[in-house]
Amino acid sequence: MLPIIPLQVAADTSTLLYIVFFMGLFVFQFAFGTRIQVYFALNDIGRGLTKLKVMKEKSRKEAIDYIVNVGKAPNDPSPRVDQFLDYVTIMPVGIDPQGLVNKIDHIVTTNNDRVRAEVTALVAQNNPVTVSISENLLEVATALNMIHKVVRHYYILGKKTNSYFTLIQLQMLMPMIIQESDALLNAVDSFKVGQPVGDGIGPVSVSRLMVGKEKRVIAKDTVMAITEYKGRKLYVVKADGPMAYVGQPGVAIKKVIEEMGVKPSAIIMIDAALKLEGEKTGEIAEGVGAAIGGIGVEKFQIEEVATKNKVPLYAILVKQSILEAITVMRKEIAEASDKVVQTLQRVIEEKTKEGDEVLVAGIGNTLGVAQ
Amino acid sequence: MMSSVPATDKKSKLLVYTVEECPVCNQKTKRAFAVGDYITKDGSKCTKCGNQTRVSLVYAESTKPSS
Repeated sequence: MLPIIPLQVAADTSTLLYIVFFMGLFVFQFAFGTRIQVYFALNDIGRGLTKLKVMKEKSRKEAIDYIVNVGKAPNDPSPRVDQFLDYVTIMPVGIDPQGLVNKIDHIVTTNNDRVRAEVTALVAQNNPVTVSISENLLEVATALNMIHKVVRHYYILGKKTNSYFTLIQLQMLMPMIIQESDALLNAVDSFKVGQPVGDGIGPVSVSRLMVGKEKRVIAKDTVMAITEYKGRKLYVVKADGPMAYVGQPGVAIKKVIEEMGVKPSAIIMIDAALKLEGEKTGEIAEGVGAAIGGIGVEKFQIEEVATKNKVPLYAILVKQSILEAITVMRKEIAEASDKVVQTLQRVIEEKTKEGDEVLVAGIGNTLGVAQ
Repeated sequence: MMSSVPATDKKSKLLVYTVEECPVCNQKTKRAFAVGDYITKDGSKCTKCGNQTRVSLVYAESTKPSS
């Protein structure tokens, strides 16, 4: 016969309750855990989306204000600006890669020409600085508009389909998306008043070699000057400042070598480079290869002409974050220009000899940097 | 939560300066940026030798001490 111990019965009841409670919790989490996470993700993304909307609208307003106040637009530019924000560039088909770069170049050039023509028509003046700044402001507004649209698309899609993985991926990306959008919005302040941006460190450095020298237009929005350093003839190329241009350094370098018949012993490119987290702003790195960003057309052109003519490509890079690259130039970056020029001189001395010809290109947005 | 949207950073104010440099005596003068300033633009007369200065740099400094 089993002994009856009341205390033990009580303990068993509470154990049973515990088990039931945790079982219930487990079942609840199993059944509703994902939904709870989806709820939090939606909230998180929703907050980010609201921020993106505010940024998008602010950049649009800033562009319109600039076109009206500085550009002295005769009519209300809002409808045209709104059309501009939704304008798309259709990239060529990539299934037959033969000649793809030339096709991309053609499409991009057509787009750039169209933007220039439309902005010139919007602003009632021919001041190239005002036109170029308007172009840049519209580009920022277009980029923010597109970011907002894409994020909203995935947000609504995830909500509609209750797709946990779509929402979680978007939630993970949101901090980076917000950071980049914030950087774009901050760029507006620098562009409006024509202040040099961090990306302009290449043009800042080479402009020192061009001051007082005769300049000639070598490609669209791109100028070249000839100077000398320790018995070497330097062909210095940069975008035409102080407009907010990046120019066509690829076309310029190709022209110098193929049309002018210059046989450089080296091509030295100076550009801003994105730093990794933990690296110091304004640090200089040296390397080989074509130091140029963008869609890849200019890089291809430079690599092609350098390879064809067996000209070594050297790179001098100034580290900075994406925010620093598109907003007003920080002191650390500006002061690196002295070191860049010293590095450039050392590379010229080490890699070339007296009587040689050297091509030097300052790559980047040349807003606020003349020559 | 796996990640979250960062709250807007407490932005340190950036002050923008223009540096004018004398090409003869290399004296540098720092002043507040004025709209219309650009690098290589002619600046004021050099206070040391009286020659024409040139804008050599335009940059921003943070008012918050860097950590």
